[in-house]
Amino acid sequence: MRRRVRGRMRRMTGPGTATTGPDAGAAGAGRAGAGAGEVAGASPGPAGVGIGWRPEIGGFVADLPGLRFVEVVAETLAPHGPPPAGLAELVERGVTVVPHGVKLSLGGAEPVDPARVSHLARVAELVGAPLVSEHIAFVRAGGVEAGHLLPLPRSREAVAAVVANVRRAQAELPVPLALEPIAALFDWPDDELDEADFLTEILDATGATLLLDIANVHANARNRGTDPLALLDRLPLGRVAYVHVAGGAEQGGFYHDTHTHPVPPVVLDLVGELCARHRPPALLLERDGHWPPAPELRAELDAIAAASGYPVVT
Amino acid sequence: MSDDRGHPAPSGRSGELAARQAELVATLVAGGPLPPGFAPGPVDAARRALLRKRAGDVARHWPLLAAGLGAAWPATFTGWAAGRPTNGSLRDGWDLARELRERGELPPLGAEELACREAASRYDGAGAPRRRRLPALARTGGAVAVQLAGRVRLLRPARR
Repeated sequence: MRRRVRGRMRRMTGPGTATTGPDAGAAGAGRAGAGAGEVAGASPGPAGVGIGWRPEIGGFVADLPGLRFVEVVAETLAPHGPPPAGLAELVERGVTVVPHGVKLSLGGAEPVDPARVSHLARVAELVGAPLVSEHIAFVRAGGVEAGHLLPLPRSREAVAAVVANVRRAQAELPVPLALEPIAALFDWPDDELDEADFLTEILDATGATLLLDIANVHANARNRGTDPLALLDRLPLGRVAYVHVAGGAEQGGFYHDTHTHPVPPVVLDLVGELCARHRPPALLLERDGHWPPAPELRAELDAIAAASGYPVVT
Repeated sequence: MSDDRGHPAPSGRSGELAARQAELVATLVAGGPLPPGFAPGPVDAARRALLRKRAGDVARHWPLLAAGLGAAWPATFTGWAAGRPTNGSLRDGWDLARELRERGELPPLGAEELACREAASRYDGAGAPRRRRLPALARTGGAVAVQLAGRVRLLRPARR
């Protein structure tokens, strides 16, 4: 069921409308995202080729004729609105807007901050989002901010910490939550699980969907010396809500997932490999700085469309 | 306590994970030692990547300061920020601008940006900057900025 509802700024009725909650657990695994269209006032789930909305490229994004899906960094929105002008215009046009959190620290050993969850819930309502997303990572510990997403040990203890925090968040969020594995330059010394098992355990226990970053798949495989296709073969691709595609660069013997460089051909090849196995409903270009001229950015969107077989949006 | 799939709830040993996460964050941003078992090269690459990302974030909050330093911005920022955890991009840039002023190394564009910020808000170096309610005048490196009813104007440019 997919509906477009006008006047999507109206408030929803709160946690009671949530389609995943603390008890959705295993029973909801793998189909939690299906409830997205049932939330009153929410736009359709992510579809086709999208782009991360940033104020610096608001004009460029507004001019994409075929665009149906954007993401916005949740922490940049004021919880009681109004959304920034360019973004509000997209909401009015019926473009699906997914708030993407970066500071929840769901992987922190400490309980997730209720004020941060509440903020994410409010901005989801503000833009009529069908789902929100966050990372399997921690960003602070012992009262000190790391300033970026840090990897967890792939241990049962860490799985339990993430699951507890995801459930706390799901209990307050009005829409389903998708979880994104990060790019890590280093691993913990005491990993008990491989990446696929680590992610699958977390998804099974929470009913969350997967936000798969294909550039992170490349980055981790490149930096660990493993095979990205072997990971794709083992991930639960049927649970992917949408996919991130981003640029990066080799520096100092590592591949860095910078979001400020062009998408390299090797990452586009992985998009093709992914879609050959199980095409996700949507793919989104993430670019966070060093913006290229508009034709280059359009070409990147077109390349993602070509690699996935979705219609061009430019 | 365990959930319906038999995973242990994060009690008991979560104190250990918390301590190890704090140790790792200290290594990455506060000059702490490398925790046992971690590979030094990759962790150091992550530490430097965090500094570069932070330099970009602060440059977005302090565009004139960063532009005034030009090609020297990344090295100036990372030299100042290494081993110093962030207090957010606004405060990080403010603290750096004040330190450069003390060293006599604040470029004119940075002096003008700092004067405008200091006319608009009161910042004690320890907590979040607070907007000034009363009219204020701020001077830095020859730049003079005035704030009236929340509007800031640069009255005189910095010495060049």
